[in-house]
Amino acid sequence: MEQLSTLWQPLLDWMNGNDIFTPNTFAMYWTGLTNTVQLVFISLLIGLVLAVPLAIARGSRNQVLRKSIWFYTYLFRGTPLLIQLYLAYYGFAFIPGIQETWLWFFLDDPLYPALLAFTLNTAAYTTEIFHGSIQATPRGEIEAARAYGMSKAKMMRRIVLPSALRRALPAYGNEVIFMLHASAIAFVVSITDLTGAAYYIYARFYAPFAAFLFVAALYMVLSFSIQALFKYLEKRLLAHLKPAR
Amino acid sequence: MADTSIPLKINGLYKSFNDTPVLKGLSLDARKGDVITLIGASGSGKSTFLRCMNLLEMPDQGDIVVHGDPIKFKFDKHGRQPSDWKQVERIRSKLSMVFQNFNLWPHMTLLENVIEAPIHVLGQPKDKARANGLSLLERVGLAERASYYPTQLSGGQQQRGAIARALAMDPEVMLFDEPTSALDPELVGDVLEVMRELADEGRTMVVVTHEMDFARDVSNHVMFLHQGVIEEQGAPEQVLSHPKSERLKQFLSPRY
Amino acid sequence: MLDLHGYGYRLLEGGLLTLELAILSLILAVVLGLVTASAKLSSSIVIRAIAKAYTLVIRGVPDLVLMMLLFYGGQIGINMATDWLYYEFDVDIFVNVDAFVAGVITIGIIFGAYMSETFRGAFMAVDGGLLEAARAYGMRPWTVFRRIRFPLMMRHALPGLSNNWMVLLKTTALVSIIGLSDMVKVAAEATKATHEPFLFMIPVALGYLAISSVSEWCFMKLKARYDVGFGAEGASWNN
Repeated sequence: MEQLSTLWQPLLDWMNGNDIFTPNTFAMYWTGLTNTVQLVFISLLIGLVLAVPLAIARGSRNQVLRKSIWFYTYLFRGTPLLIQLYLAYYGFAFIPGIQETWLWFFLDDPLYPALLAFTLNTAAYTTEIFHGSIQATPRGEIEAARAYGMSKAKMMRRIVLPSALRRALPAYGNEVIFMLHASAIAFVVSITDLTGAAYYIYARFYAPFAAFLFVAALYMVLSFSIQALFKYLEKRLLAHLKPAR
Repeated sequence: MADTSIPLKINGLYKSFNDTPVLKGLSLDARKGDVITLIGASGSGKSTFLRCMNLLEMPDQGDIVVHGDPIKFKFDKHGRQPSDWKQVERIRSKLSMVFQNFNLWPHMTLLENVIEAPIHVLGQPKDKARANGLSLLERVGLAERASYYPTQLSGGQQQRGAIARALAMDPEVMLFDEPTSALDPELVGDVLEVMRELADEGRTMVVVTHEMDFARDVSNHVMFLHQGVIEEQGAPEQVLSHPKSERLKQFLSPRY
Repeated sequence: MLDLHGYGYRLLEGGLLTLELAILSLILAVVLGLVTASAKLSSSIVIRAIAKAYTLVIRGVPDLVLMMLLFYGGQIGINMATDWLYYEFDVDIFVNVDAFVAGVITIGIIFGAYMSETFRGAFMAVDGGLLEAARAYGMRPWTVFRRIRFPLMMRHALPGLSNNWMVLLKTTALVSIIGLSDMVKVAAEATKATHEPFLFMIPVALGYLAISSVSEWCFMKLKARYDVGFGAEGASWNN
């Protein structure tokens, strides 16, 4: 106990000695970090789950299905996420009378509209990534599956998806980092994410360098951890897919 | 009812690619234990013929009968289609194909490749498929490579693994599509040796090949294809040593 | 007719600002990208390390954070510098960091890093023998670059360039957050005033789609231009 406090004491002294890095602002950054991680993680997770069936249907023989999924990804990939966020945020809030319904319970918290926009956005990008790698499945792998009597569904589940999703790993890793960075706009709809915390501290103390450089460093740590994770996954899951020569 | 003792019977097969006819009325009977080799120059249609047998290519006309079970066709806007895909899948599982480029699934180990279709197509229990798969890998000399991924193996090892994968289906007929053409010359021998053993134990095989020694020594029936037609066929010593047609003589002459 | 509550003209102005911003940032990004790509292929380990660190930082930090750092931090940084000049040398100048300039500089710097990857790959894809041939005929380094290396490289760089441009275009929307009146900002203001989000956001979304469709067409034309002599389909690299 004694030792612990001697370790902590200089840190506490330093925190009390300056205005910007105090227990209070750290609590703020902590809230920001949890909000950012929560927002990004949940939207990526739901987006991923949506993207797999969408990517399969995107290559379907059914014209209407194929074209409508193409149109969805075209819209969401062709316009800024900020517009999608505004639409999700204001689009519901300004429906007359909505504040009296149960829906308002969700819509009152900007986290839900932001989740909606982020999820639909990442699902669109991820759908195209997976669609591309499904289309790029070598013919021979598919022929062998057909020649051994696999049905279409079984072939998709056992042969095409396992190898296509592995091959999509590097591109999907980029999408995850892209989403983390893109989530910085969440603070414009008054969510205290990491960037929001930094903005608050900048505005409160007029200290842009301390505030923004600090969160920039945090984002960098997060980004490179994600990158390292995907490098590891690629090594584990992808190494044998590359031709030896 | 057709003769159920004949594993594979093909009758009057026609196939065109974009209005260019490539198969013009081909027939074949593979009786139990037959080893039939298809030879001919590239572009003669021999690979397409083989790929029509398990419907990797869709023939425009003609019957395919597996153990007395004729594949049923219908016509729709896409042309001639099998009317019952379940039947096609069932028949395909009885005709194992070995490909020129092996086509092992790269995300699975060798053993996983071998047991994939037995478990997920034939519905074999896992441990039975595993035990059987290991003994088949042992047979083709790859027991200690069971947990390797295809890219970690040489071409010859991959092709022997692919043969084990085909055997695991306990097929009625094995279809070989130029199994040694993609291999370095020094690796061809091991693969041919495995195929020779299979022939000796009475497997029914249809083999597209450029290996004339294999055709002569192992097969009991040789078909020479030229421009989508069977130009000459018969016992190997007769067809290969005493060719009648000019084209076959030319094909067999040393400059080939 | 669509009733835009008098915001129609301002939306058009905003669209023009978006375009100006995007094009100026693109020019800066291409220049920075070419310089950084050359730096990455330099023989000096220090220059390579600097170029590497630059791209590493950009890939790790969100666009918006960099933009706010430059915009809000830039003003204070410059004020400190001018104060110092005033007290030390009695030089009195005042520099106001303009949101437009901050936007162009940040977006340029960010996409310069991405462009450098595109250009580096493209530089390496050009057959060295062709450059040697140019030197053998006595071309000076700059002439080799302008006449041989650049046109050959562009063929490989175009897909990446086109992709970066499309992302850059959408990134310009972020300047509305630091107060610049681009089309997103105008639409957001109009939405708050009239409570009609779809009326304003959807035309802006269509604006972005229109710009990207036109650019896609331009890139197709450019591709045809640089593919001359590489087969009609330009698919030789495809195999």
